[in-house]
Amino acid sequence: MLGIRRISTSRWWHKKKNWQIFVIFLFLVFVRISKGAFYKDLYFFISKPFWPGQFQKEIVLNSVNQEYFIKLNLLKKDNIRLRQILSLQESSNGENILAAIISRKTGSWWRQIILNKGSNDGVEIGDIVIGPGGLLGIVKNTSLFTSSVTLITSPESKLGVWVDRVQTSGLLVGLGDDYPSLILYSKDADIQVGDFVSSSPASTLLPPNIPIGIVHSIDETLKSKKTAQISLLANPHVIDWVQILKVNI
Amino acid sequence: MNKFFTKKLSIISFIFIPIIFMWHPNWLGFLGFQPYWPLFWLLPWSMIHGSINGLIFGLFLGLILDSLTLNESLTHIPGLIFCGFLFGRIKLHSDILLGHFRYGLICSFGSFLCGTIYFLQIFFRNFSDSNSLILMTSFKNILAEVFLTGLFAPFICSQLLRMFKFSRRRIQ
Repeated sequence: MLGIRRISTSRWWHKKKNWQIFVIFLFLVFVRISKGAFYKDLYFFISKPFWPGQFQKEIVLNSVNQEYFIKLNLLKKDNIRLRQILSLQESSNGENILAAIISRKTGSWWRQIILNKGSNDGVEIGDIVIGPGGLLGIVKNTSLFTSSVTLITSPESKLGVWVDRVQTSGLLVGLGDDYPSLILYSKDADIQVGDFVSSSPASTLLPPNIPIGIVHSIDETLKSKKTAQISLLANPHVIDWVQILKVNI
Repeated sequence: MNKFFTKKLSIISFIFIPIIFMWHPNWLGFLGFQPYWPLFWLLPWSMIHGSINGLIFGLFLGLILDSLTLNESLTHIPGLIFCGFLFGRIKLHSDILLGHFRYGLICSFGSFLCGTIYFLQIFFRNFSDSNSLILMTSFKNILAEVFLTGLFAPFICSQLLRMFKFSRRRIQ
């Protein structure tokens, strides 16, 4: 019988210090794998009181707005100059009339609004009405102090529009609901949900490049044409003030 | 002055129809839809004064509403004339509660009739363009209008009927 002789009763795992080193090692492995996420998160909380405040954010946003405004003005001037060179239709010449909506029929088939500015204020039949977001409709009738506007959602409304991404023109037809229908007389037109729709450069009713809406859904069931529902940028249900643009087409 | 108002109660209330049609109070509607307001006046008027009067005032209402809507080629007149004539054939009911529900049902039917006639005008006018697209929307429009007209009719029609009866009795 051979007796097993024990050299020492002490083993490494019996020492607390070794465990401490092992835990630190595991922690550092975790730090390495997480690419220092722990440090970064810790830094997030430590540095929070010293971040740039709301005031600085406002200054930056103000500067950005000013920059955009200057750029927009320069682009507008360029646009007018180029249109004059190419003899294209001009946009509105800046004669805008501000008007309030005094009657609003935006449900059922009779989709129209009545504005508090009429022929007395220089409003004429055929002037276009825009609200915050884009086109709302066209002035169809004026009295001395009021003007009636057919909304683009009305079944009476038919407008030539332009889909900028695919460089295609189509017909925007009101259906008596909130989503007018865009009809493209080409089955191959590659329109997608989210495409931006504006007034057509070839339209005889509207000045070009007025924002109208965004493609909401596409229907490809028809054989000869493609149709899409358009979500309008300007919401006639909630807008109280509009601008009437004089049209020089 | 008071006598004048009592005598002309029906005509004064008639003036309010185009106003409320233009006003289009959203808080009385549902998802942007409104009841077909002219029927609320036309029903009690025709029930009291008969078919011919109903027909004539249906025409008058149609003319006024056509002047307020911008759709030049579409008209309210046929629907309202037909409803005016039809409502004049209906006899007053002695049971008040049953009467209330009858107004709702009759106005719903009238609204359906007017809506369908209006839809057919749009349908035939845009025959080549977008027939299939307009069908679903029109169905929704008619349904919402029928529902709302039926809902409000018992309240408004019975009040107007009482007012017109009272006014007529005073005149006689």
